[in-house]
Amino acid sequence: MGDPFDLAAGWLQEHLLIPLLYALGLMQWEDVSYGWALFAVYGACQVAITFAVCMPLERWRPVERWPDAHAVTVDVLYTVISRVGVLPLFSFVLFYRAQVALNGLLADHDLVPPTLERLAPFLLGQPVLTFMLYAIILDCADYWRHRLSHRFRWWWALHSLHHAQRQMTFWSDDRNHVVDDLISALWFGVIALAIGVPPLQFPLLVLVLRFLESLSHANARVAFGAVGERLLISPRFHRAHHGLVAAGQRSCNYGAVLPWWDMLFGTADFRRDYVATGDPTGEEALASGSWFRQQWAGLRRFAATLAGSMAR
Amino acid sequence: MRFIRVLPVLLPLLVLGAKLAAASGLAFVVNSGGASISLVDMSAEKELRRIPVLREPHHLVLSPDGKSLLVGDTVANEVLFLDPATGALQKRMPVADPYQLGFSPNGRFLVVNGLARNQIDVYDAASMQLLKRFPAASMPSHLDYAPDSSRVFVSLQGTDSMMAIDLGKLATLWTEKVGKTPAGVLWHEGKVLVADMGTDYVAVVDPADGHVINRIHTGKGAHNLFLSPDRKIIWVNNRVGGTTTSLDASTLAPIRSYAIPGGPDDIAFAPDGRLWITRRFAEKVAVLDPKTGEYQTIDVGRSPHGLFLNPNGIAAPSVASR
Repeated sequence: MGDPFDLAAGWLQEHLLIPLLYALGLMQWEDVSYGWALFAVYGACQVAITFAVCMPLERWRPVERWPDAHAVTVDVLYTVISRVGVLPLFSFVLFYRAQVALNGLLADHDLVPPTLERLAPFLLGQPVLTFMLYAIILDCADYWRHRLSHRFRWWWALHSLHHAQRQMTFWSDDRNHVVDDLISALWFGVIALAIGVPPLQFPLLVLVLRFLESLSHANARVAFGAVGERLLISPRFHRAHHGLVAAGQRSCNYGAVLPWWDMLFGTADFRRDYVATGDPTGEEALASGSWFRQQWAGLRRFAATLAGSMAR
Repeated sequence: MRFIRVLPVLLPLLVLGAKLAAASGLAFVVNSGGASISLVDMSAEKELRRIPVLREPHHLVLSPDGKSLLVGDTVANEVLFLDPATGALQKRMPVADPYQLGFSPNGRFLVVNGLARNQIDVYDAASMQLLKRFPAASMPSHLDYAPDSSRVFVSLQGTDSMMAIDLGKLATLWTEKVGKTPAGVLWHEGKVLVADMGTDYVAVVDPADGHVINRIHTGKGAHNLFLSPDRKIIWVNNRVGGTTTSLDASTLAPIRSYAIPGGPDDIAFAPDGRLWITRRFAEKVAVLDPKTGEYQTIDVGRSPHGLFLNPNGIAAPSVASR
């Protein structure tokens, strides 16, 4: 009996994607579509598992209660687009092709692109260990991506959409501007190319990491204790990053899964307890607008900062 | 203690018996989505173990001397050389995007299709030196040779075309449209057959100029085609329809269609007359009895693609894999 995720992806491909590609005359993409199907299935499972775990936590020990949670529904849309649709499509139509092209170029010159398994051959056939090493490297990369997105004005103009949410829940992890998402994908694409992350081999890695990221945004009074909070990022720790006083170009607790990078690079703050979230400097459309209004406002701010930079 | 007395006689027989039992046939199934190669005991029809590879292997081919099985790992840009008897790794070689690979009938050339990089590489098989790279727009996927090894024919999935290359002059002869999304290629009786995956037919192509002479309807998503060892039947896998169709090799008339759901792809012929068929979406190999139409299934890895059967292979689970 095969892996249930794989079989679900296979079913999706056989009964939906392949007939669709055939009808549209796009059968040349049938091989790549398997990767998309696999990530879509894992994405749907991510959403389901995150919902099943985080929703009871938020009901049980909420940090805040809101009479109207309309702003949260937009975040649900962000999550579905990000985890089941756009992100997997991007990674498999663009990133995959780029990886093959670049690696092939190197192979033409007898250069073997770096991979963890080549640097440490004992890792070949050790998926759990390899999985963990890739996760640690990618988490460190994400720390710096996130920190820089607060540092540069043009990047913050995009990323502030993520921080505008005053009703932060586990759905808020994916509320990002699409341009910010594209930059992130490019960032991870470069890192993945440098260390050879095989996207099809570790969909579980993405699932676990994204679950932990969602959990860290939960509207729940959940902390992991003095030791646990230094091993894994808790909702309490990450909430400090989203705090009103921490929003903007000087913040704290940038980490996504592991707090180690904040501790190592001097940005960790373990003192703040369940602060109110949001960005007081941002415009209202970013906080409570529809998906399109938020995207438009973000794009406008992004263009304005770029124009301002050029004018200077 | 009669047992002790007969032991010197029994022992060599026992060892010989064990060896005979071990040589029960070894099947290699390339799991393109699982970065591994499944080794399957052909007698027991059970997966023994998996050889981990780096990224995304697709196809495999036996070297002309029969001593190595070459497996192309596309995303890792390397070809693995395995012992076809045991699966033991012999060596690795950097090769750009080795999606589909095949030796010419005379053993002189190795052609490697780079599907993602839009290139066809012609190697000298003995030295493994690249003789020439042909840019191929786009997505070169499957290939077959003329029996005299003078030409190779490559399907170009992205442009609905086929390319013919003169291997003596290392020059392109023609590139012609042959139907929507062509995949499997087979030289047969002076013609080139190509399975058009975007349609439900196999195109019969004139090798002289690439002109389509005829179309044989087989099933939705005709993907790959194989000539049976007795040369009497051509088997066609239809990816979208989930069927395998047999054609009379002399007339190309369809004989029978078998339901093989789960994206049937490659076929290998077992000595007992059954067909081993990889089912891409089901993580299984189907072992089809063409007489009854029934098939057994063998669990393998994710997205099984290329397939090779070695009836003399040693199905021992303890052989070193790396």
